[in-house]
Amino acid sequence: MKPDQIKRALADITAETDPTLKHLKLASLVSAVFREHGIELVVVGGSAIEFYTEGAYVSGDIDLCVDYSSTALTVRLRQEVMAQLQATGGPRSWQVGGLYVDVLAGFENLARTPVRRLDGPCGHVRISPVEELIVERVLISRYPGDYPPARDCAKKLLAAALLAEIETDWTEVKRLAEDPAYKNWNDLKQLVHEQAQALQIRSPYHPDE
Amino acid sequence: MNKPKLSKSGVPTIPMNEPMSWEDWLAGRRARRETGNRVAPEIIRRPTSSSDQRLRKLFHGERGLPFKKTDEL
Repeated sequence: MKPDQIKRALADITAETDPTLKHLKLASLVSAVFREHGIELVVVGGSAIEFYTEGAYVSGDIDLCVDYSSTALTVRLRQEVMAQLQATGGPRSWQVGGLYVDVLAGFENLARTPVRRLDGPCGHVRISPVEELIVERVLISRYPGDYPPARDCAKKLLAAALLAEIETDWTEVKRLAEDPAYKNWNDLKQLVHEQAQALQIRSPYHPDE
Repeated sequence: MNKPKLSKSGVPTIPMNEPMSWEDWLAGRRARRETGNRVAPEIIRRPTSSSDQRLRKLFHGERGLPFKKTDEL
């Protein structure tokens, strides 16, 4: 991106008062400048959940992980890339455009389904697969102890998936929940049934499906 | 360009295998919020986290910007 394009994008992001739009626009800009250096980022955590659900969950920071990189992502390179955005801080967390951006290490992902892509104003934003987010949030909602905020996230993700607002591979959700990395199939199946009942639709795990 | 698949509420589905356009994503915002509201409270932002100190400093005591109301989406 040319400096004047970055300047215009930053002005738009800084002026944006809608938290979800602000996050998505900033994710698009940060992804674009890293992409120019051969580094692909993926949005994880609360911002990913927000983009899928509009769930009013996100706070003032956005987490991105490195999915793959054709060059070594050194501290120096991170600082140089973020300097293009007039960011302050580092080496893994910066303040830019009125938010905090964290660029974290390798993307932990067991899902075989693709990273989803949204076309943002500066280029596409890659988002952690919804199947893994669902299974992960259900796990966090129960372990190490009951955690209602994670349960609410899981409910909103499941509701959006059940109503086909997000194209979801339910076979993959089941496979992940049965994987030793999660081992929470019974919890997950129960929560899916409960949300399906609340929405008055049939669970994808109903015996007749 | 292909028409997007639609959700049960009639808004564009976030697809698995192709990018979603900005316009299609915007068009589904309100429906997605309303769906979530059927199963959980409207606002579920965590009251605390390990980032509290820096967030509350940046957002004047809050942990982020205020959310748009559902009918403003």
